[in-house]
Amino acid sequence: MEKILDTLLSVGIAVGASAALWVAANLLFNQVTTNWRRFNTAAGATIGFLLMVVLDGNRLLRSLGPGSDTIGTIPAFLWTPFIGAIVVGVIAGYLSSVDDPGRRLLISVASFGLLGVVIGLLLEDAYKPSFDHVALVGWTVGLVAVGAVLSALRERPPLSGALIGGALGWIVGSFGSATLGTGSTAEAVIGAAVPAAALGWRFGRTPNADDATRGRIDNGSRAFIFLAPALVFIAVTLVVPTIRTIYLSLLDRDSEDFIGFDNYQSVFTDVDSFDVGSWTNIFTSRLFLIGMVILAFALAVAWFGRKSSGKAFEVGGPAIGPLVIAIFLLVFAVFSVLRGTIMNNLWWVFTVTLMSTALGLAIAVLADRGRFESVAKSIIFMPMAVSLVGASIIWRFMFVARNENKPQTGVLNAIWVGLGRLSTGNGLPTLLFGAAMAAIGLGFLALLAKSLVRRQWNRIPLLGLAFAGMSWFLIRFYSSGVGGIRTNASGELKANPILFVQEPPFNNVWLMVILIWIETGFAMVILSAAIKAIPSELIEAARVDGADDSQIFWRVTLPQIATTIGVVVTTLIVLVMKVFDIVKVVTNGNFGTQVLANDMFQVAFSFTDTGRGAALAVILFLSVLPVMYFNIRRMQREEV
Amino acid sequence: MKSRWLKLGTVLVAFSVIAAACGDDDGASGGDGNPLEGTSVTVTGPERAEEEAGAIQQALDVFAEANGMTITYTGDADWEANINTQVSGGNAPDISIFPQPGKLADFARAGDLVALNESAAAATSSNWSEAWTTFGNVDGVQYGVPVKTDLKSLVWYQPSAFEAAGYDVPTTWDDLLALSNTMIADGNTPWCVGIESGQATGWTFTDWVEDLMLRTVGADVYDQWVSHDIPFNDSRVVDVFNMVGDLWGTDGAVFASGGSIAATAFQDNGEPLVDGDCFMHRQASFYAAFFPEGTVYADGSEGAVDVFYFPSISGDKPVLGAGTLASGFNDEAATMAVLEYFSTPGYAEARQNAQTALKGGGLSGFLSAAIGQDPGIYQGLEQSFLEILSSAEVVRFDASDLMPADVGAGTFWTDGTSFVNGDLTAAEAADKIEASWPAG
Repeated sequence: MEKILDTLLSVGIAVGASAALWVAANLLFNQVTTNWRRFNTAAGATIGFLLMVVLDGNRLLRSLGPGSDTIGTIPAFLWTPFIGAIVVGVIAGYLSSVDDPGRRLLISVASFGLLGVVIGLLLEDAYKPSFDHVALVGWTVGLVAVGAVLSALRERPPLSGALIGGALGWIVGSFGSATLGTGSTAEAVIGAAVPAAALGWRFGRTPNADDATRGRIDNGSRAFIFLAPALVFIAVTLVVPTIRTIYLSLLDRDSEDFIGFDNYQSVFTDVDSFDVGSWTNIFTSRLFLIGMVILAFALAVAWFGRKSSGKAFEVGGPAIGPLVIAIFLLVFAVFSVLRGTIMNNLWWVFTVTLMSTALGLAIAVLADRGRFESVAKSIIFMPMAVSLVGASIIWRFMFVARNENKPQTGVLNAIWVGLGRLSTGNGLPTLLFGAAMAAIGLGFLALLAKSLVRRQWNRIPLLGLAFAGMSWFLIRFYSSGVGGIRTNASGELKANPILFVQEPPFNNVWLMVILIWIETGFAMVILSAAIKAIPSELIEAARVDGADDSQIFWRVTLPQIATTIGVVVTTLIVLVMKVFDIVKVVTNGNFGTQVLANDMFQVAFSFTDTGRGAALAVILFLSVLPVMYFNIRRMQREEV
Repeated sequence: MKSRWLKLGTVLVAFSVIAAACGDDDGASGGDGNPLEGTSVTVTGPERAEEEAGAIQQALDVFAEANGMTITYTGDADWEANINTQVSGGNAPDISIFPQPGKLADFARAGDLVALNESAAAATSSNWSEAWTTFGNVDGVQYGVPVKTDLKSLVWYQPSAFEAAGYDVPTTWDDLLALSNTMIADGNTPWCVGIESGQATGWTFTDWVEDLMLRTVGADVYDQWVSHDIPFNDSRVVDVFNMVGDLWGTDGAVFASGGSIAATAFQDNGEPLVDGDCFMHRQASFYAAFFPEGTVYADGSEGAVDVFYFPSISGDKPVLGAGTLASGFNDEAATMAVLEYFSTPGYAEARQNAQTALKGGGLSGFLSAAIGQDPGIYQGLEQSFLEILSSAEVVRFDASDLMPADVGAGTFWTDGTSFVNGDLTAAEAADKIEASWPAG
């Protein structure tokens, strides 16, 4: 109960404070046109207050109080901000009533400089710098130049930028690159007073605002007051953490010493990131050989097709199906041999993006305007409602393997071992199953023959492949057997379950299946909406022109939804690149399934190697960035 | 206009007051009687199962009620990651329970933990033997209080099954190997092994390696191995990897209920042992929690489960142990008083009684080697654990809990798992673990 009240109180204070801040900001800028001097006083007071809160809040200043925790009833640490508010407020208010440029400049430089001197005098001993003169001069000159150039580019007087650059450079040079805590009070005063005076010079140069300028400030400020909460939120939750992560990635594991790009180097030279030592095995892997055979088949078809249609490869042409299968197999051959965290991530991106989009598109097209469209689509979409962790746990149970002497409790292994028992048995079930498979094979053969007779060349290559696959299955089924069964040393038949999760490298693919299962629904919904948006006149026109279903799909539907496919693909790439939950839950990166995000989590939070963890986070961030950029650009173009 | 300025001022003052309220977090000071009266102490730890966390809380409440204070125990499933965040965020609990002395030492050296005060340190050294207090000792200063003890050098078996097949409990390593081979020759499966454990897959393997390291190279080299004075890929370590690998790899030696050792959850070995699918299972004292419901322990009845000591190789009697230690993040009187209480046999008894009750009888899974406990609170099997502990000549803490997390909770688990899974050879795995040892 106490906690609930506490929470309510905090929320109430936060809401009230935000509203008060917002009202106060509007009241403040109301004064710009009505009372310029009051505006300057209030704005100056706010800035002085915040400046002192930052300085004092970070324990940079010695407390103003005479040694006790409170002065009167007010805690000592509150005095500094109020004094800062009063001093800066008075300076700003007085400046706003001075119009003579010479006096303005003088007062501004003098009072700002004095403020700097006071801050320097109050600085805690631990922060007093001992100057590194080369760095001080280097930073100041460098940033003066940068400021001047920037001002010149914006067609402003170069001196303005030079002064601000100089002030920043002096601060970085005197405090940023010096050993703190060893210097004298004089150095602290010089370190603080010089940039303050430079800023005073910068403000003193600006003449008092005339009515036009004040109007501009009044108008312009409102947009910022409205934007500010969002900007602050983005800065606090996104910009600052990003910059800090990049900074941490350049430090060692305890975030103490600067070590440059060593963390990145160690990530990229680690065999666990890239293990390409056995690349020659690609060429001897079975996947590669099968892929090459199918590729040769695709090329043969293409060569044959060029003779008849004039084009070797065309979308929807007969050679495309085998070609895609061949490329898929060859890529798998490469990824199953080249191992490592980063290779795994690329494999995930390739497989999940391609399969989810292709399956989603296929379902969207096939279900379109069908009888059970909404039911079918709802079922496919349902996995989207399951959390990634939940889905991973469900699939872990599907993947379970059991000892060879025990019944298989995992669904997939129960089927696999069941198939094995079927193919090695000789009862009625075996006969029926074999007959059913043979019937399907004959079906393929019949379709193949029909296509040959009707000269529907487009269908022949895929039907041929399907028939060949089925024939191979049947031959294995009746000879050595198919499925999870093996004969042990003493000639007994034993279950031979697949260790889906533990056998590298293809355990990766089984993990990917989980994400494909989820994301197919996403791709389907988006693509289905795009298909529905195609004007029906287009389809009807194509039909009138004599196009068949396959031609309509390849020549009309596909080009019409190309941009949507682009959106789906880029969204999926970003999502898959960051894959974490599935790997965390199913293997935690064991058995060669590590991915960047899980590696990052482990390194940063279990091993507390903050530097390397941050480096992994930055690598992940940078690899997602171009796709994000592409995606946003595309969306902007869509809107126009 | 004036009223507006008043509003503005009010806002500023309000903010200052809020800031003041945020900055002020001094604890309440006690009354003038018992200095602990009215204080509160927070304790976190990784044990969060209903029975364990509840028993810890109940045992702490005994002390809290006697002193009119409150002690809150919070069990955290993700303790290992969260304690780092809490400490670096300046939000540490008063006391944390550490399952890993290595982590305790890290925090102590970083200056986050506070050494025990005189009275707590004195209580710890009088209530615990030096073999255990040493795990909470960092560079000669006592930071940690042992609160729980696990005994790892145990083999679970069924006496009735051994009797029926005519097997004797092995007392030497050679006997154990011979027994294992006899069982295979008889068509029986000697071992149940599974190393899958979710995020911590592989720790069972590291326990085997540690137990055998202790038996083959002795305690001194074991200590050097832990402190990285000998490299992890030292040939003696690789030999032990292969010893384990050969024993598990022998045809018919292992019943893996999940299809392979790496795929079998460590929890899933109790049932096959009871069902007779295998005859022996090397696991720690807390494994009692993973036998099927209704299993009886060491009462001589048919099907009862008992343990024997994992035999020694060189004749000395080393014991691999583990456990938890409590340590404080501040030196307030209440924190130190609770730490002192943690070291007493009174805490152990209160927790054992509470945990047995929460488990609803049977073995509690809790064990303490504190001196001066009433032995009557432990059941027969638990007393035999304590006997093995007290007769041990050498006690060493689980090495992976002492090594840096990169190794002890990282590569030793993962590359060890790869070795067991056949993806790496012993030498390759040891080389990779050595390479991952953090510099400095």
